[in-house]
Amino acid sequence: MKQLKYTLVLLLCAIISSCSSDNDATTENLTGQKGSIALKFDNGVGDQNFAFNTTYQKSNNESFQLTTDLKYIISNVRFKDQNGNEFAVPEGNNMFIIDQDDANNAGEIFLNLDNINAANYTEITFGIGVDQDKYTQGATGQGNFLTLAQDKGMFWSWASGYKFVRLDGIYTDATTTNGALAVHMGSVGTSLDNYKEVTLTLPNTVLVRTNKSPEIHIKADILKIFDGETSVNFADGYNQVHTDATETPIIAVNMQNMFTVHHVHND
Amino acid sequence: MKDLQNFKYTLLGFISLMATSVFGMHKIEPCGHTHNKFSPLEIKCDLCGCTTTSGSFGFGTLSNANFVGLRYINQTFESKNGIYSNSPVSKETINTYQLWAQIPVKKVFMLSVNLPYQDLNREFQGKSQQLNGLGDASIVGWYKHVFYKKKTENKDKTIDYNTTKVATGHSLQFGLGAKLPTGTFEQELSNNVNPGFQVGTGSLDAMLSLGYNYGSNKFGINTLATYYFKGENKNNYQFGNQLSLSTKAFTVFKTSKMNIMPFLGFSHDTFKEITQYNETLKDTNGTLTTGTIGSEFVVKQFIFGANYALPLSQDLFGGNVTSKSRFSVYVNLAL
Repeated sequence: MKQLKYTLVLLLCAIISSCSSDNDATTENLTGQKGSIALKFDNGVGDQNFAFNTTYQKSNNESFQLTTDLKYIISNVRFKDQNGNEFAVPEGNNMFIIDQDDANNAGEIFLNLDNINAANYTEITFGIGVDQDKYTQGATGQGNFLTLAQDKGMFWSWASGYKFVRLDGIYTDATTTNGALAVHMGSVGTSLDNYKEVTLTLPNTVLVRTNKSPEIHIKADILKIFDGETSVNFADGYNQVHTDATETPIIAVNMQNMFTVHHVHND
Repeated sequence: MKDLQNFKYTLLGFISLMATSVFGMHKIEPCGHTHNKFSPLEIKCDLCGCTTTSGSFGFGTLSNANFVGLRYINQTFESKNGIYSNSPVSKETINTYQLWAQIPVKKVFMLSVNLPYQDLNREFQGKSQQLNGLGDASIVGWYKHVFYKKKTENKDKTIDYNTTKVATGHSLQFGLGAKLPTGTFEQELSNNVNPGFQVGTGSLDAMLSLGYNYGSNKFGINTLATYYFKGENKNNYQFGNQLSLSTKAFTVFKTSKMNIMPFLGFSHDTFKEITQYNETLKDTNGTLTTGTIGSEFVVKQFIFGANYALPLSQDLFGGNVTSKSRFSVYVNLAL
């Protein structure tokens, strides 16, 4: 009987200790602490993982496939913490090209952000393309990014500036089969302003600490570029989008709505 | 009686030997991948919380006999690796080798103990990954209430207290237990579609059980409801509480050599969401209903058992994890 009593007491202790309250993470002092965040861009078309040379259906009985390029520029990444404070990724390392060719075998493109202030973040904001302030800083103001953009075919010329997005492939509509598809949208120098920002609420708080490397998994639905806020048709000229003052803003707004945060990982 | 004493010591010796050897073997191979976020070959390991708890497998034998034995459980899962409907699928196999026992403490009190060794395998895109080590041990204390037939009065209205009580075959049992974090949990591995690809959960869990049993010499029914209160592990990761319901009906065929006890059973498990840093994680809850068919063979003091379970309906981790099948075999020595 004594044995039994001890056993029961032991079990009770086990239960009580397992129910003990959690340490409150908000009470720790994070001043001066830096960490990192990895953004994981995952391109898809609807519920399908994106792949080159695969035919995807869009509205109006049109279809497309991308054959060589799926790239876009992300810049001005910043985070808002649970107290409403904003932290911007340090300038000089806050312009990126998300290139499908850089994806791992799961189709994910990693963007590693270092020197992030330790905090509990609840919101992310980033820009698509390059804003006018940055562009008007001239060639030296672009830092190494200019060379990168040129190498990746994301820069027309100094007069026309950056291509914010680059889709190259083929399309099929009622009258054309496998016609050339090229969507190269930008601000065309300063003649337009197609730079757009996206703000997304994080499904779980992202905890940045020296010893933690959280990941934010961002889903980008490429189909929304054509079937987004506005549905556009290749037959109406959207098979070739370059500098048009009507077409490019529509593509820019469609792209603004193609991102969602699927989930986050806290390490 | 002396024999029994000797046996108890032998048993104790055996258990401690097993324990030390298993601890000695304890070796974790976290899938051999390096945590390089930019590696184009990055592959992580996956799994699910349902795999590390064995509630729906039952704690004992059909006849509720006391025993010590060895059990092998094989479970297979498929997990989607990615967020798209055409994301690639990995296949996980979990082999569990258990030393399990139901030890009598007093006439109405018993202890169930379970010491598992986990051997996990994951196949993904032609690559195989291994993870093995001591799993989570559990211990449950049971109180068993047996219902007896009412005493019949003699003709002269006196009650004969000399006759022994006759059991009706009905009994209730109450269990209170704990699952110990003896298996290693790795945060790295949990950041996946199937966070149960672990040898242990790293948490101390409590469990509360209520069972009803009926057994005659022809057939019997065992029903058990268990609720698991999952604790938080040191990675601030907490598997969701789990309700496990199971029932088994068996018949008894007696031959000169053995008793054959075939059974049919159902189990239903409900998992709540996983929480981390006090926030619930989306698509981490689920349900699993399985049908089980099997048999026990009682030969003298030995109980041999085998069963096969197939999911009848399931929704685990937002449909990203699929339980395929599981089977188990065991051999017990009745005490």
